[in-house]
Amino acid sequence: MSDIINTMKISGAGMRVQSERVRVIAQNMANSDTAPSKPGELPYTRKTITFKNQMDREIGEKLVQVDKIEQDKEADYVKKYMPGHPAADADGYVMMPNVSSLIEMMDMREASKSYEANLNMYTQTRDMAAKTIDILR
Amino acid sequence: MTIENIGLFQAMNAKMRYLAQRQNVISQNVANADTPGYVSQDLNKVDFSRMVERVGSQNKMHVSMGVSNPGHQLPENQAANPKEIKNKKPFEVAPDGNAVILEEQMVRSSETQIDYSLMLNLYRNNVDMIKTALGSNK
Repeated sequence: MSDIINTMKISGAGMRVQSERVRVIAQNMANSDTAPSKPGELPYTRKTITFKNQMDREIGEKLVQVDKIEQDKEADYVKKYMPGHPAADADGYVMMPNVSSLIEMMDMREASKSYEANLNMYTQTRDMAAKTIDILR
Repeated sequence: MTIENIGLFQAMNAKMRYLAQRQNVISQNVANADTPGYVSQDLNKVDFSRMVERVGSQNKMHVSMGVSNPGHQLPENQAANPKEIKNKKPFEVAPDGNAVILEEQMVRSSETQIDYSLMLNLYRNNVDMIKTALGSNK
């Protein structure tokens, strides 16, 4: 039975990291228009999240965990012509965040798909446990 | 005499333990569907039919030998320890080195689920049969 309980814990860890990922995506989306306050400053930088599979000594199984949340330095900032903005440079351009709503949406879809898969595994394992207990009746 | 001493129940028990462990490995794969560099794993198949064959002839009491050294061999009627194996030829690998295909994992998990239900029903039927023989089932 402990095998089954551990299985549910593994799926639970999977769901936890995926919801953490959705949180990061929501943060990116919410800040997709966060411009700097002064010229020369950098705007909001898109965040990325990675996972790793790490041993949990307590249950003796590997659980998936958030590895690190980093800033995405690869994608270029968008320059927008807004001469009236306080952060506009001499030519009237403002550095805008490197968040692309299309990429974030794709990421979100993937996260929710993975979450669903974990939930599926959880429900199935729970059913297995419930049926096993039903033998007692 | 407990139910575990009956060969058939021993075999079903082993199979159920195997299935629970397999479900564990599959859920590990699903949880790591977005972990960079993770390659999906599975248990190698255990030949349960051979085990069941022996159950018929070996319905006597037997003492099984302990294994304390990797060089020791298991008695023939004991199921081999299912080892976790890495998928050598993944169907598709993502740019970050992840090779888990959720659809494939779902199929495997359904398989496990069905086999497990089968075992449970068999188990129940056999217990009912014993109960009938004992006359306690009215």
